[in-house]
Amino acid sequence: MDGKPRSVGDLSGDRIKSMTVFLQNLLGGLSIGSVYAIFALGYTLVFSILGIINFAHGAIFTLGAYFTYALMGGKFGFNGLLANFSLGIQLPFWLAAILAAILAGGVAVAIERLAYRPLRRKQSDPLLMVVSSLGVALVLVNLIQYLVGAENYTFPGNTYGDLPSAINFGSAKNPIVIRTVQIIIFVISGMILAGLTYFITGTKYGKAIRAVAEDPTTASLLGIDTERFIMLSFFVSGFLGSIAGTLVGSSFGIAGPYFGIGFGLKGLAVIVLGGLGSIPGSVIGGLLIGMVESFVPDSGYKDAVAFAILFIILLVRPQGILGQKLIQKV
Amino acid sequence: MNDFLSTYGFLIVSMLFGSMLGISLYLPLMAGQLSLASPGFYAVGGYIAAILSTKVFVTTGTFPIPLLLLEMAIAGIVCGILGILVGVPALRLRGIYLAIATIAFIEIIRIISLNLEITGGAVGIFGIPQPFNSPIEYLWIALPLLLLSMAFVYRLENIRVGRALVAIREDELAADAMGINPTYYKVLAFTLGAILAGVVGAVSAHFLNTWNARQGTFDASIVYLTFVLIGGSRSFLGAVLGGMVFTAMPELLRFAADTPNLPLFIAQFLRDGRLMIFGLLIVLGTIFFPQGLVPAGLLKRSTQREQKSTK
Amino acid sequence: MTSAWFRWVLSIGFPVLLTACGTSNNAPSRGENASSTGGAIPIGIAVAQTSNVALLGQEQVAGAKLAEKYFNDRGGVNGTPIKLILQDTAGDEQGAINAFQTLINRDKVVGIVGPTLSQQAFSADPIADRAKVPVLGPSNTAKGIPEIGDFVGRVSAPVAIVAPNAVKAALKINPQIKKVAVFFAQNDAFSKSETEIFQQTVQEQKLELATVQKFQTTDTDFQSQATAGINAKPDLVIVSGLAADGGNLIRQLRELGYKGLIIGGNGLNTSNLFPVCKKLCDGILIAQAYNPAQPNLLNKAFRDAYMAQYQKEPPQFSAQAFTGVQVFVEALTALSKATPTTKVNAQPIGDLRVGLNKQLLAGKYSTPLGEISFTPIGEIVQKDFYVAQIKMDADGTNGKFTFLK
Repeated sequence: MDGKPRSVGDLSGDRIKSMTVFLQNLLGGLSIGSVYAIFALGYTLVFSILGIINFAHGAIFTLGAYFTYALMGGKFGFNGLLANFSLGIQLPFWLAAILAAILAGGVAVAIERLAYRPLRRKQSDPLLMVVSSLGVALVLVNLIQYLVGAENYTFPGNTYGDLPSAINFGSAKNPIVIRTVQIIIFVISGMILAGLTYFITGTKYGKAIRAVAEDPTTASLLGIDTERFIMLSFFVSGFLGSIAGTLVGSSFGIAGPYFGIGFGLKGLAVIVLGGLGSIPGSVIGGLLIGMVESFVPDSGYKDAVAFAILFIILLVRPQGILGQKLIQKV
Repeated sequence: MNDFLSTYGFLIVSMLFGSMLGISLYLPLMAGQLSLASPGFYAVGGYIAAILSTKVFVTTGTFPIPLLLLEMAIAGIVCGILGILVGVPALRLRGIYLAIATIAFIEIIRIISLNLEITGGAVGIFGIPQPFNSPIEYLWIALPLLLLSMAFVYRLENIRVGRALVAIREDELAADAMGINPTYYKVLAFTLGAILAGVVGAVSAHFLNTWNARQGTFDASIVYLTFVLIGGSRSFLGAVLGGMVFTAMPELLRFAADTPNLPLFIAQFLRDGRLMIFGLLIVLGTIFFPQGLVPAGLLKRSTQREQKSTK
Repeated sequence: MTSAWFRWVLSIGFPVLLTACGTSNNAPSRGENASSTGGAIPIGIAVAQTSNVALLGQEQVAGAKLAEKYFNDRGGVNGTPIKLILQDTAGDEQGAINAFQTLINRDKVVGIVGPTLSQQAFSADPIADRAKVPVLGPSNTAKGIPEIGDFVGRVSAPVAIVAPNAVKAALKINPQIKKVAVFFAQNDAFSKSETEIFQQTVQEQKLELATVQKFQTTDTDFQSQATAGINAKPDLVIVSGLAADGGNLIRQLRELGYKGLIIGGNGLNTSNLFPVCKKLCDGILIAQAYNPAQPNLLNKAFRDAYMAQYQKEPPQFSAQAFTGVQVFVEALTALSKATPTTKVNAQPIGDLRVGLNKQLLAGKYSTPLGEISFTPIGEIVQKDFYVAQIKMDADGTNGKFTFLK
């Protein structure tokens, strides 16, 4: 299927070449995987607190990228209600990204209050919350399309300044070339992951979120305002989703309102692989899927292999790599 | 009336198919198992019919009904076997883990059909021969099939198997302790759903004239799940009703948008914002119809317990 | 329990009520002939206005609407205006069939321009064919579309004709080309059909097919495919995809150091590509079925109208949709000239549709795509194909397609 085999050179040359390919795939996979990780953490936070998968997270990812675009002074196309609209301000990329993430966090909180809280109040079947989140995703995606059309957008201006477009880590003869934007994404993701880990384990807010996640009833008996921390975790989840959207947007551009849906699906594989509700699990799951994808030899089966691994891991270790043992209610 | 039938014939038959796909997802849910695998089996059933009718049973003119029935039977058998093969390992998983494993199954089926030669890649298989002259005539197949599956599920709910499934749904450990083999019954329900989805897929391939990898996707499983949960997950009538209402909904909104004398911006919104409204209805549906449109006790005799609160 | 029952009744009642109201409202407009739009001749446009195909559908709507205005300003069909009736197909097969059914049976259109995707065409076109309603595919390029039936034609040239030109043009620029790397979007019917032609052409030209890499239109990263492609050391890269994914793949290939020629398939023949790969789009060779610089009168009018409204060069999808409407209008005009005594839309709709289909296939048209006509089965015969090379401005925001001859 994959064309003709490459010409066979001398053995040592081949070995260097395959080493080069290996390193390139490794670094590329790490970069993609780190974005998967940030994105998946948004799922994980909500799951650990409410025990549901928030399918609207993929739409928040998209929304965040659009917010960043608008805040950087981007102009919208001629389709949709906001044809040719632009905010008229041109913020630098980093500021736009942070503001967009805050806005997206606000949207996530609003979704929680309007769509999920009424269900929690009624103590409905958690499955209904999952369905509701799908409804929310449908509304968000189509609202974006209704307002700004289905065009592709690229962030205006020089997102990361005047850096070279790629860096060669190898020699001129055996190049190991990585796109600069991927290295930047990897570094930013790493910083965010570190910051988040500190927030969850080191601050009292983070500890409170964990307490609510582990046992809401006891947490509220201890005087923790459960509702407040549910909102906080939705905010952080929306914030992370938006950052992931912005980072992918900076490398790829925004490919229309359905941009985040594929990511949403991939994110599911990531969190289950790592173990639902486990923060380090999401990180490992993200990096793992990123690498697996870059090492699959037949590109046609790239996505299938990621899901096949997921399927197998689930069967061998249903709680995921780092997930806690399932507790059975008796 | 004639105009109505020719305009909406396709939709009416689609609604019946929607109901059956709802039932196929409802079956494992009877045992409390959230499986989203139906579109995968639906896709496989469709490919079987599409390949058989364009490559194996090559006929000229109208496609003979017996051959169609044969295709449906083959699709049912193959999907049944596949259902057991996937079900036995997958049903060891619970809750959302099972749901995600079944999503993985759908994605794998989709990618494989994009890569194989026999399934035609992204273009798919086209020129599938027609057993009928117009879409509405598919009722000859769809209606009996729906009635049959409804009768089957109704019967199932009232015999020992059905009670075993409900017992597993309410409390798997207790059911196990009572001597019910949970794995056996869960796989049974899952496989029945797979067979139904495969059979519907086989008819649908003819009904849609073409078949491709876009038929069995994650999006489709979400739609079926909506059928069942908003329709009512505690009675098969919920799946039937949900399948009909939600298949028809986008077309109803299209229809509403064409109402004369409607202010332009409302008509425009009903047109371009159809999917937004659809999503909103799902959100509101979960809030205002937590038991679904069809509540649990509707068909049951009054002696049975009232809607027991979930969880 | 009562409240549950009440809700249940309500939820059943609501859709029924909605249907009932709609039906009664629409009843008077059901004439036996095609005069249901206040005397204007109804032409159906069934493209994807929502869903993830909407980017293409939006462009088609823009082109069709320009055609409606252009021809009505010039007297429509011998004095009778035309009226476009738009029904959204969304991105799926079911949606396409529903839109077609509505246009055929309720809106009583004389012909349909649509649908957007080839897969949708395979599904919905047989319905129109059985109802004897002429259909013109504005963007269906897969093999086998006109063969669906007598009433199915297309104004979109099949990939088999367009693609080889680009490979020949590349060989003209660089006769040293030996190894070729091919990339295609495997979940896109258009790209899948096109890549088969490209791969065949590569072999016919005695070039070495060094590697074939697949991606999906929903992918956001192409590192592994791009790396594998570059490691095969090609002198020519051929990409079949759509603007967002194809453009990004090209951008990543360039950033990773690929220096040779790149051919983009027809899916990249849109100015939507420019914001994606910016300066790195420069030099891409594109096989085109439409060129905005086509010098004929109609294209000038179309291009000017499009530029005035949208401030950019018209994309191929808009031009093809315009052409679809134009073919219907001109065929109707010819038909009404043949029977000057009666107005064209006074005859029974069934006869009109059959007559229109016959007339349509017989005619010759000077369109924004250049001179076109049809084979007896409805395949387009297009005279002019182009290979263009993209030239980007220095700052990489704007670009244009320049002819290669």
